[in-house]
Amino acid sequence: MTPLVELREVSRSFGANCVFGGVSLVIQPLENLALVGPSGCGKSTLLRLIAGLDPPDAGEVWISGGRASSAAQVLVPPHQRRLAMVFQDLALWPNLSPLDNVALGLSGTSMANRERARRSMESLELCGIGALARRKLSSLSGGQLQRVALARALAVQPKLLLLDEPFAALDLTVKAALYEQIRRLSAKERITLVMVTHDPMEATALCSHGAVLERGTIQERGEFSRLLTNPLSETLRAFVKQLPPRGRTD
Amino acid sequence: MISSGVLERPGWWRSAGIALGLGFAAAPALILIGPLFTVGAGTGFGAGFPDAVGRSLLVAAGAALLSLAVGLPAGLVTSLYQFPLRRPLVGVLALPLLVPSFLWAIGLARLRVEAGLARDGLLSGASGCVIAFAALGIPLVVYATMAAARGITQSQLDGVRLATGESAVLRYTARNVLPAAVLAAVLAGVLSLSDPGPGQILGYSGVATQILVSFSALYDFDLAARQCLALGALVLVVVAPLAWWSADRLSAQLFGRDVRGAKLYRTLPARIVGPFLLAGIVVLTTVLPLAGHAWPATRRLMLSRAFAEVTRTAGNTLLYAVLAAAIAVLCGVILAICAGRDQRRQRLLLTALLVLLALPPALGALGVVQAASLAPQELDFLFRGRFTVGAVLALRFLPVATILLLRSTSSSSPSWAAAAAVHGVGLARYLRRVLVPLLTPVATVAALLVALLATAEVGTVLLVQPPGEPSLPVAIFTVMANAPESLVATLCLIYIGGAAIILSLAMAALSVENG
Repeated sequence: MTPLVELREVSRSFGANCVFGGVSLVIQPLENLALVGPSGCGKSTLLRLIAGLDPPDAGEVWISGGRASSAAQVLVPPHQRRLAMVFQDLALWPNLSPLDNVALGLSGTSMANRERARRSMESLELCGIGALARRKLSSLSGGQLQRVALARALAVQPKLLLLDEPFAALDLTVKAALYEQIRRLSAKERITLVMVTHDPMEATALCSHGAVLERGTIQERGEFSRLLTNPLSETLRAFVKQLPPRGRTD
Repeated sequence: MISSGVLERPGWWRSAGIALGLGFAAAPALILIGPLFTVGAGTGFGAGFPDAVGRSLLVAAGAALLSLAVGLPAGLVTSLYQFPLRRPLVGVLALPLLVPSFLWAIGLARLRVEAGLARDGLLSGASGCVIAFAALGIPLVVYATMAAARGITQSQLDGVRLATGESAVLRYTARNVLPAAVLAAVLAGVLSLSDPGPGQILGYSGVATQILVSFSALYDFDLAARQCLALGALVLVVVAPLAWWSADRLSAQLFGRDVRGAKLYRTLPARIVGPFLLAGIVVLTTVLPLAGHAWPATRRLMLSRAFAEVTRTAGNTLLYAVLAAAIAVLCGVILAICAGRDQRRQRLLLTALLVLLALPPALGALGVVQAASLAPQELDFLFRGRFTVGAVLALRFLPVATILLLRSTSSSSPSWAAAAAVHGVGLARYLRRVLVPLLTPVATVAALLVALLATAEVGTVLLVQPPGEPSLPVAIFTVMANAPESLVATLCLIYIGGAAIILSLAMAALSVENG
């Protein structure tokens, strides 16, 4: 099976600071993966390399069997990678309504305006916020804003959805509802999730697989059920301590 | 299609854009340097120039010290505490910044005469000039202190407050805002060096008057250019190191991602001291000179003649202001986008902008006059027309517009452009649908501010205006010696009233932006 994402020996530095070096990672279709690790280890940077927002300093990024980025070059621009991303601060354009946010997010497609509006509305309804389509963003709650960001991401019908700690600022009830919604939508639309998180509950609720980025390399990678029974990295050991007993056995 | 992602990526175009923008702003001054090195160029600065420099430096130092001494405490109280009438008083403080300094000087001079004060008293000579320039400097220091205090977070203040009490909060904030306040005070002093108005009216003319006389009365362009460059060099020596020293902290305070300051605290002493302090400043900087204008106007208000003068000059005044605002805001947007979020680039740009703002405006104006004399006749429309006045004024106030816009662009989310790139929103569409609408409120405020400052600028317009095309302040400046005092007073009151209306509009726009 052709991997959906393949990182081959990618490295990234900021000035003299090497964030990670020689990282290789394969993500198969529908293999929802949580990328975990300590703060500043480069998880979000890795996500940006997959998205094509930044090129790697060395190594290659392959998407759906095609070379998408190589050393210092983005070969396939982000919007042609069949992916979407929900950012940590959601990155909703604050002057536009939810409907316009989603519609402008479809700019990369060749849809006519009417079709674009219809798809945007469908996507907002899919995320349960169709009624808020024309409201001001400033009048929406945190959970509603998350759903707008999700609707914008899903409207482009991506194969891969990148989530960069999008639920960090939400309370537990809203989080639980969103996990359920994302799980349902990813299964229905056959979307693979790659999520950056610090939260073990979030990681295990949404993803079947995990990868630990520590000290500039991938320390462990595999199914959570296996990883959590015998954690090798510091990050996963800390994860296991935080998970409730039932979560560990699940 | 150019991706919106370029807005958040490094690129050669950023440095090139900044170099081009700053080069454009500095070009007229650079043109002026060339002829100095030609064979047969004069070398002297004219009799009395060193004395004039000495007088100007004395006034500049006095204005800077008074501005800091009054402006810093007022700025601290205003930044930290809530008190009655805080908002309107802070707004009214801006009025002296937006009105030509010579109008305030006329007011002070009239007040002295009407109140029967001594001819060599506080409101004339060097002390009168210091008060007139401090009327501009004090609000500048108050605003700089307020802007710098926004870089202090609520938790920092709460920490100090819990540990050591309110006096420690004041000391802690003062330490943090001091570079900005000192810079603003020095800037006020330096700006007074190149302003001929108050000195001429209050009988203590300095170096700026010498330059104006060399150019307009002696018709000695080379002498005026040499004097202007000498003044420019003096300003550079004072301002450049100070600007570089303070730019690091200033850029962090002004352009930080989280620029939401701490909430205003409520204490009983601040409720009493705050209104009195700000009201006292308003009386000193605004009410006293206004009283000087109102006094003769109460005897006779020459409205019909004044309105005839206003009508005659309104077209030019508006055109110069609109051109200056449009060009400054356009260049400011480009510079702000080119600077991006790189802190080193922001610091360099801020330093350069502060230095440009401090340089004598006559440098740019005389540079354009020089360029006009060298350029072929076909380019007269570019160098000798009304457009030229607007363009020179735009370059003069480009720093103000750029700093405001840079603050807005750098406090926006970097993920907006990244999200646009992921979704295939091209650069042009992203600018049109997202960035430009988001910048519009700040750009509007910047345009209004530049328009008002440009209107208040007299020296530049005097030097580059086409014959018979003055703005309203230049017309007042020209007629003030010969026209009846009540006509001058009426004209001044009309001008100040207009500035107050535009200031109210700008404040309303700001409060809409802040929700």
